[in-house]
Amino acid sequence: MTTGVLGQLVRPVLRALPRRALGAGAGAGLLLAALPRLLSDDPDQWTALLVLRGAALALALGLTFLLDDPARQVTVAVPTRRMLRTALRTALVVPLAALWWTAVVLLIPSEIRPPVGALTLEAAAAAVVALAASATAVRLTDEAEPGQRVAIALLATSMAAALLFPENWGLFAAPKDKWWAVGHDHWAFVLAGAALVWAACGPEPVRRRRLRLIPS
Amino acid sequence: MSAVLEKAPPAERADEQRRSRSAVLALALFEARKLLLRLPVLAMFVLYVAWIGWTMRDAWTTFPALQDVDRATQTGPLLPALAVLLCANQAVLRSRRQDTDRHFDVLVLEPWRRTVAFALSVVPAAGLTALLVAAQFTWGVIAPGSVGHGSVGELLVGPLTVLLAGTAGVLLARVVRSPFAAPMLLVLAFFSTLFLGAISTGSDGSATRWLVPVIGDASSKTLPSDLLGRPAVWHALYLFGLALTLALAAVLVNGGRTKTVAAALVVAVGLGTWGAVGQAAKVSKSTTDARVLATLNPAKVQSCARHGNSTYCAFPEWMPRTGTWAEVADHVQSLAGGTAAQEKLLVRQRVDARYGMDGDGAIEPSTTPYQVTVGTRWGGPRVPEFAAAVSSVLVTGSEKASGSLCDGRMVTIMWLALGWQSDPLTQLRAVRLDDSVSGSAIVLSPTNPMSMTAEQTTVVRELLTAGKVTVAPKVKAHWAELTAPKVTTAKVAELLGVKAPAGADKCV
Repeated sequence: MTTGVLGQLVRPVLRALPRRALGAGAGAGLLLAALPRLLSDDPDQWTALLVLRGAALALALGLTFLLDDPARQVTVAVPTRRMLRTALRTALVVPLAALWWTAVVLLIPSEIRPPVGALTLEAAAAAVVALAASATAVRLTDEAEPGQRVAIALLATSMAAALLFPENWGLFAAPKDKWWAVGHDHWAFVLAGAALVWAACGPEPVRRRRLRLIPS
Repeated sequence: MSAVLEKAPPAERADEQRRSRSAVLALALFEARKLLLRLPVLAMFVLYVAWIGWTMRDAWTTFPALQDVDRATQTGPLLPALAVLLCANQAVLRSRRQDTDRHFDVLVLEPWRRTVAFALSVVPAAGLTALLVAAQFTWGVIAPGSVGHGSVGELLVGPLTVLLAGTAGVLLARVVRSPFAAPMLLVLAFFSTLFLGAISTGSDGSATRWLVPVIGDASSKTLPSDLLGRPAVWHALYLFGLALTLALAAVLVNGGRTKTVAAALVVAVGLGTWGAVGQAAKVSKSTTDARVLATLNPAKVQSCARHGNSTYCAFPEWMPRTGTWAEVADHVQSLAGGTAAQEKLLVRQRVDARYGMDGDGAIEPSTTPYQVTVGTRWGGPRVPEFAAAVSSVLVTGSEKASGSLCDGRMVTIMWLALGWQSDPLTQLRAVRLDDSVSGSAIVLSPTNPMSMTAEQTTVVRELLTAGKVTVAPKVKAHWAELTAPKVTTAKVAELLGVKAPAGADKCV
């Protein structure tokens, strides 16, 4: 039964995807990743790392809009559970995101490319944090389109984190740094934690608890 | 009757004008309050306050120079600026998001006046930033031993950055109405700025370098404020002009095509361009000349003060600090023996200002007998470094002679420099490049560094542990032998009554 429902759902969900936000994130990421080839005669590994992280953040910001559903007040009543609908949305985006990330990585000249596996872990963690944050916002509030709010929170948090997190956490380390390996263990924890939060916030609550953020 | 009718309309228009003005003000106040209470803005202001506390935590002991403190206030406001940009953008888009745009069409207040109110609503956030910047700077001013002068232009950069960010958010919301535009463009702008900053070598003093709000320096030294050559006031004018331009452009694209707005926009663009051109100018000839003069012939611009036997010459801004230097020099000299104990020292402040803040240069050791160099910074490791310079001059006669020093006199130099301190081992750690108290190491000084062998380090450590009371009389008694060239470390150890180290003396 589920496969049948999924088959029927694919087209409408595909149409309901926030394509412009995702496209903007992907475009911004590709633009950033192209910078070393476009502008620099003598790019170094540090700038490559910088633009790759920028690209990952751009896509993560795009993904915060993934769960936006302008028709939320209506779709909340449909028999297909929200978990299923959001999972389908994500499943439709994942292959494209993987393709996009491959393109981004290939845009960086191979001689300055940082370790791809480690950077992919960082990008995946950022993406899952974005999804978890928007799932939390959907779960805890009544808003139909919490995307912008979540994007702002994610951007502010990531900038503050880059500035304030102690060096020995290694989250924003460079490949030759002492904390690079430790940092990627931490990234794995971030990924796992965000995935848990995301899963926990997937189902529609039976009884809605109102959490009113300061309305804007 | 008709006369009365003719007179009435102007009065009504003036009344209407006043009413719409007060409506704009009321909306601006409402939005400002909302903006300041938004969670991201609040959180970023809290972080910013914490950042101020963190950066100023040791201002009390590091003798700050105010021309450095003013520039240190600039990076912190980027935190609230980020949140203000995003939240102001979101606030302007709110009516679209909640589908209340249509309702505003029935209001008397035109849409462009609402934009004016939104642009005004970021002013209190900039004002709050100004207060915090002022607090940070005041903290530096009242810190004991602070010297120099701050620049209003540099202090204005922080609040103006917040203002610029807010108006950019408003303009962005009026130009691109999608909710993801602001975060995306911010990421794009942030990372490409970082990228461009990383690839351009930047020493050519290019005009484009000053177009971003906060400009760091390649060098971290402290210069007299008149030699900095940073176009701070021009840059503040540029930022102000740019912020005003963005705000007025937002009003203009929103339909506010009145003569006043157009005229104000022209003025704002003019101000911004004026500032941009002003800040792009090369460092003036008089400043470069003054830098060369201050580097090569500082005596021409310095004043001197006499404390005890010795004379202390410093750039005018540092004159209040000569007393502090004198205390250290007197302590070191009081431990010396022979004629060195009464020698008249000349302590002269020197700094390589030739490259401004774009690069560093080493200061050559002075060849003049009994002249000691002191730098522009003080506090922390700078104190034992200066003490080591004083003691090396007392032992060898000049800074030049102590540079190539490679014998047992190093022990005497280090003991004189540190023996009078209350916790000499900590100071020994501070003055050595690798922060160690064993093994060989480089000893920093205001000019060329000196080197200590592992054996000398052992002897110095034992002398420092033995204490001033037991060692000082022996130093005075054997002063001539201790300061004789080519004296071995073993001999020095024997004279001062500590166990001679086993290894042979080898300089690094």
